[in-house]
Amino acid sequence: MAKSSEPSTTVWDRFLRLAHWVLAVSVTIALVTGFFGGLPRLWLHLIVGVAALVTLILRLIWGFTGPSSARFISFWPTPRGVLAHLKSEDGRHLGHNPLGALMVFTFLGTIAALAVSGALSLGGVYKIGPFAADGFALGDLAGEAHELLAIAMVALIAAHLGGVIFESLRHRENLARSMVTGNKPSRAGDITPLVRRANIVLTVILALLVLAGGSAGLVGLAKRPIAGMPVATAPLVAEECGACHMAYPASLLPAASWQHLVAGLDDHFGEDASLDADTTAKISQWLSAHAAENADTLPAHAFVTPAPSAVGQITATPGWQALHKDIAPETFKRAPIYTRANCLACHKDAEGGRFSPLALSIPALPTSSPN
Amino acid sequence: MKHRYLACFLAPSVLLAIATTPALAQDTSPAAQIEAFSLEAGRAADAEAGKAFFLASHSGGKPDTPSCTTCHTMDPTKGGQARTGKPIEPMASSVNPARFTDSAKITKWFRRNCNSVLGRECTAGEKADVLAWLNSL
Ligand code: HEC
Ligand code: HEC
Ligand code: HEC
Repeated sequence: MAKSSEPSTTVWDRFLRLAHWVLAVSVTIALVTGFFGGLPRLWLHLIVGVAALVTLILRLIWGFTGPSSARFISFWPTPRGVLAHLKSEDGRHLGHNPLGALMVFTFLGTIAALAVSGALSLGGVYKIGPFAADGFALGDLAGEAHELLAIAMVALIAAHLGGVIFESLRHRENLARSMVTGNKPSRAGDITPLVRRANIVLTVILALLVLAGGSAGLVGLAKRPIAGMPVATAPLVAEECGACHMAYPASLLPAASWQHLVAGLDDHFGEDASLDADTTAKISQWLSAHAAENADTLPAHAFVTPAPSAVGQITATPGWQALHKDIAPETFKRAPIYTRANCLACHKDAEGGRFSPLALSIPALPTSSPN
Repeated sequence: MKHRYLACFLAPSVLLAIATTPALAQDTSPAAQIEAFSLEAGRAADAEAGKAFFLASHSGGKPDTPSCTTCHTMDPTKGGQARTGKPIEPMASSVNPARFTDSAKITKWFRRNCNSVLGRECTAGEKADVLAWLNSL
């Protein structure tokens, strides 16, 4: 490792180091919450995702306005440079070596792609954010891409850590520590980056312009009307079908299921829930007209295919079962949940039919009393 | 895509129909309702018999609902709970003045709940008794 007697020189400026570590931490948290956090942790995933995106934008600007080794021009990788580095024909690079530079650009590109695909899927699937108006199909596709990109990201991080260890051993220095202190031992024959001065004023102006313009654009996109949103439950349906449980939004089942269910109200899940013929017909018609086929929300898409054995039951649909497979059966039985059918206990916005993951939390176990 | 167009035609007409449905009215009082059921039964209401009926376990109904107390609890001055976890307001009219003031609501729930618990409609006498007890607490 680097000997303390060696002369050292500053390679990585403060902002570059800060950006590196903010990205390292935020991307790691995003990966962990994305793969293991489940939807109840989505809020944290979104916060670190936005933090990574903002840092990425600032780093991109710094790549044109920052000092020597921060500038993209001083480490733009060429095929020849990469090849030479792979064959160990080049010397020690004070800034990014060509392979490391390739890594940097791949990282930045992948983070950008993750941000875009994540925002598209949040919009299309959950109707949240700037792309809420862009439809479920696109959101669903973007979600798949987001997942593949996240897996690629894990591989990239592994390659990056491998590269850092390899290069550190090869040149007997601690590259990770350099990214903390900013300093590297300076040696004869080092390949040094182009000498450039940071332009702080330009950086601040560009950052303000891009961030303000970007936010305004995103707010504008978010304001577009969203097609296929669930409609508010009609008062008659809310009254009659909300007497024994929450009034289930019509968008949670297909029209055929509603017709089947309303036709059998005299033996409704072990109870008589019958109504006069006129009211029954009105309710059946209203539910069918606003059924899952006519909505573009995630629950509408997930529950549109009923279980053949229990056509009128949301919780029996393969879609519902898949979404709740990680929840222990006992959880549904305990107070204040009591049953799977009590969506409202965990989904605060259930009556509106949106089922936003940001309105989702499983009620905590009541603190056990001493007796 | 066809169903979407169908929905466009159906939705406004159904909404209109629903909007013009009269709101549930407060058209009766517990006393008037007890009197009406007594008259139909041809005898005076018996609050004690109503208590026994309400608290008893019955057979003949649906297996999940053996008693009125399954949902309304043993103490009608307290709130109950539907099988779905949804709270039910207390049944005693002394703590819940809104009780038994809407004849359509009373008819509907007696029909349903008696059928669920007993597998049949309640008689006018049973209804008079139950209401007399719930109104005396
Ligand atoms: C008399 C009480 C009562 C009334 C009134 C009632 N329900 Fe139910 N409903 C129940 C019970 C009890 C269940 C079973 C809940 C469970 O599984 O825990 C149920 C379940 C359901 C389910 C299935 C939930 C699941 O598990 O996926 C749907 C859908 C439903 N009801 C729709 C309706 C509609 C529509 C109306 C109005 C026409 C209505 N209900 C009126 C008592 C009632
Ligand atoms: C015990 C709490 C609980 C109950 C009750 C419950 N859910 Fe969920 N639901 C969850 C959890 C937790 C998730 C997220 C699972 C995950 O992390 O992937 C979820 C996910 C979902 C999703 C997909 C994600 C989203 O937020 O849109 C839908 C749709 C959904 N539930 C609908 C329902 C419906 C409809 C009912 C009632 C018939 C219901 N849930 C009852 C806990 C519950
Ligand atoms: C499965 C649960 C359940 C059972 C069992 C049940 N009820 Fe009910 N009952 C309800 C619900 C839910 C309501 C309507 C909600 C409300 O009025 O608060 C209701 C309402 C009523 C009403 C109308 C009250 C009013 O304000 O007009 C009467 C009367 C009634 N029940 C009587 C009975 C009797 C008598 C029995 C036993 C034979 C019984 N119930 C059993 C759930 C139940």
